[in-house]
Amino acid sequence: MKAPFSPYLTALAPRLKELLGILRADYDQVSALATDSAGFAVQISQRAKTVRSETMMTERGVVVRVCRNGQYSEAAFNDFDPADMAGLAERIRGALAAQEAVLRAVDTPAYATPLQSDEPLTLFWEAETGRLPEDEDIPALIGRLSAISDRGMAEGKDMIDCAVRAQSTHVCKMFLSEHRDLRQSYVISEGGVIAMVTRGGRTEMARGSVAERLGPEIFDDLSPQLAEALEVSQELLGAGRVEPGMYDIITAPDVSGLIAHEAFGHGVEMDMFVKERALGAQYIGKRVGSDRVTMHEGANCTVQVASYAFDDEGTLAGDVTEIDRGILRTGICDALSALRLGTVPTGNGKRENYAHKVYTRMTNTLFDSGEDSLEDMIASVKKGYLLRGVNSGMEDPKHWGIQCIVERGYEIIDGRLTGKVISPVVMTGYVPDLLGSVSMVSPDREAFGSGGCGKGHKEWVKVSDGGPYLKAKARLG
Amino acid sequence: MTMKMEALLEQIRAVQGADAWSVTERTEEGWEFYLIRGRLDQHRARQTRTFSVTLYAAQEDGKYLGSANAPIAPTATPEEAARILADLRLRAAYVRNPFYTLVRPDGRPAEPAPAPDTAAIARDFLVTLRDLPQTADADLNSAEVFVTAVREHLVNSEGVDVTGVWPSGMVEAVVNARRDGHEVELYRMLRSGSCDAEGLRRQLGDALRFSRDRLGAVPTPALGKTTVLFSTDAACQIYGWFIDRMSTGMRYRRISDWEPGKPVVDGAEGDLVTVEALPALPNASRTCAFDAEGARIEPFTVIDKGIAARSWGGRQFSCYLGLEDSCVPNCFAVTGGSMGAEELRAGDHLEIVEFSDFQVDPFNGDIAGEIRLGYLRRGGETTVVTGGSVSGSMAEFAKTMRMSRETVQYDTLSVPAVTALYGVTVAGVEE
Repeated sequence: MKAPFSPYLTALAPRLKELLGILRADYDQVSALATDSAGFAVQISQRAKTVRSETMMTERGVVVRVCRNGQYSEAAFNDFDPADMAGLAERIRGALAAQEAVLRAVDTPAYATPLQSDEPLTLFWEAETGRLPEDEDIPALIGRLSAISDRGMAEGKDMIDCAVRAQSTHVCKMFLSEHRDLRQSYVISEGGVIAMVTRGGRTEMARGSVAERLGPEIFDDLSPQLAEALEVSQELLGAGRVEPGMYDIITAPDVSGLIAHEAFGHGVEMDMFVKERALGAQYIGKRVGSDRVTMHEGANCTVQVASYAFDDEGTLAGDVTEIDRGILRTGICDALSALRLGTVPTGNGKRENYAHKVYTRMTNTLFDSGEDSLEDMIASVKKGYLLRGVNSGMEDPKHWGIQCIVERGYEIIDGRLTGKVISPVVMTGYVPDLLGSVSMVSPDREAFGSGGCGKGHKEWVKVSDGGPYLKAKARLG
Repeated sequence: MTMKMEALLEQIRAVQGADAWSVTERTEEGWEFYLIRGRLDQHRARQTRTFSVTLYAAQEDGKYLGSANAPIAPTATPEEAARILADLRLRAAYVRNPFYTLVRPDGRPAEPAPAPDTAAIARDFLVTLRDLPQTADADLNSAEVFVTAVREHLVNSEGVDVTGVWPSGMVEAVVNARRDGHEVELYRMLRSGSCDAEGLRRQLGDALRFSRDRLGAVPTPALGKTTVLFSTDAACQIYGWFIDRMSTGMRYRRISDWEPGKPVVDGAEGDLVTVEALPALPNASRTCAFDAEGARIEPFTVIDKGIAARSWGGRQFSCYLGLEDSCVPNCFAVTGGSMGAEELRAGDHLEIVEFSDFQVDPFNGDIAGEIRLGYLRRGGETTVVTGGSVSGSMAEFAKTMRMSRETVQYDTLSVPAVTALYGVTVAGVEE
């Protein structure tokens, strides 16, 4: 079925166009993003159960962007009477004027930025989904998730608890400007199983996750996620520590994705170029990885939780080849940064929600596939680790450092997995060294959308990342 | 007309079969300024108001209490709100949690707080950043200023009706230092209530100094197990581990086995940790007298000289542990230890002042972080180092850790100015 576009936004559209018309008398350019995204989040464990109608992406509100004399400003609001657009326009003008008065009082100089492109465009897109979150039978879902939790407790060893979570959001967004009317509707869902275990005073938590740009039908059978969580929980309880040093590593697709995200995801967000905060700006056209490294970024480069039709500034979604056989080709860019840099936006202008500013943000970030089998990769390692499971990562676009905290590593000695597991694994290094060391790439490729991404330590958005198995060299600690 | 609290309450009271309810109306007026090299890139105004509604349904004669929660936008029509409330009532009946009670009024009046002057606070932030001492070799790259006036009004079916008003400020700043064509940056995210001009100057001044030092840093050697000093906000992660493990949520879920009256660490030989829960610290970013469920926040001791004293937490898990008068405090203060900061710095050690992202796993106490800047002290000589990582477990470090007598406040948490962990594994860049 198609995910139907929001009736609320459909009804609001003519009112918002009226508002933009009123504001055009005072500003050189005016546009609006309106959102109406509903969803649910259910978490079931043996100790506590929660049901909420709120997820990371549920929201309802409007943000108006205006530009006058090259100065861009925005007003975000969710409390207004649709029948009184003149009153709302006055509120917006008043709020921004109060800020301008403070800026003048402290004598703050400002940049002048050209007007955003507003070529005529109309788009109405409703993505396919199996079911809708607003129609989901929540009592039945509670029953299914409870059964999985009970199974986890019965089948697992050393269990403290087995938590099962499911959340789904029906995203509806509408971008309006003088010449553009873009509307999109799609559903994303994510969930999984968390096994919490303890043995001999050691407590660990292991996950099995699923995420898709689909509806709550993806929660109909979470048995594979349960099996993964139970297996990994035992591995973590028996895991040792790595002896710090440089190792041959093979990254599983989820860890490959983490590297893609932290290395040349954040590293080529071009709003960082505007601030001269990214080393990548100096390396366009230069080698940053081995011949085997090709990396794509874009809402269109796969179908996952970050796949949409247009971004939060009304730019159509794209698919950018950031690295082509080791050569850095380009970055990703939001609309206002593109105007500053004299380039074109790539459909990567995203907000945490309507109340937040747009930044250049990742969507789906993936390494391309190769031709080496995983078996051949393992056989080629004298001493090293196969890394699986993602805990967290941190970007460093200015210096190209990388920090990836990986959940576990499987020891490889003389071309064979020994059965020994280490956890956690802190992988650090210099991005070009790490990508330059990539020597084998497998044909299979996966994308994962269970996590969130912050800019610095805030502005959380949904992203996906992934790739194939990669063989490289890295420092583990 | 948009949805008002009284109209929503009227609809909630009319829901058949809801045994209890709670509503929070949160209003924010936000001012935001985005600066690059001292020039304005963009400014933004936020005016938002949202209701968060929870309905409760008792099951099996009060043996269980289910609940379901939903946001309701002020633009929701009465018909839309009625549909949401009906869904909540239905869903709550299928959520089977052991029974607990909602917060009840304590009979004491709430002290009124004046509405924050967002314009004045914003001006203070902008002036402080404008006048920050900068040099040709070290300066402010960019800054984002967020000033928010928050108002929360909470009403529940037990008679609680409380309102909190407070300012919440935040500056995200990036500083640069450069020499001979080489440039480095450091990142800061500094939260407060209103503008703490002196604190902002001190912390950004430190960042400028650290960034200059980073220019001359050499790769961190492989140190094996060594003494590591924490003298920046990374220490909040260390003490957060102690605080989290005393939460009723972690204790009820059996993730933490810490019990009141027992040592939090067996065989402790170092300084013993004392943690106080507080309604406020000076100019913290949340200073409401009540927590999110309407419980009044009173000071109490969480950990007393290494002995678990009293847990903190939300109503549900606190009730399950028999702590019906508990709350979620806004702030915590960790009492200082036995030595001065300079005494802790006297021996050989690595003092790490910049991590890419230092973390302590709340489940198992594992620490992890990439070193971006550290001062390695060996044999009376100090070397500035960068790269490599730290690892180990707080479960072991807590037995021997030392804390300085001096303390320092990071927004809602006051911690010892210097914390020493012994036997930390440092993976260096140089073998």
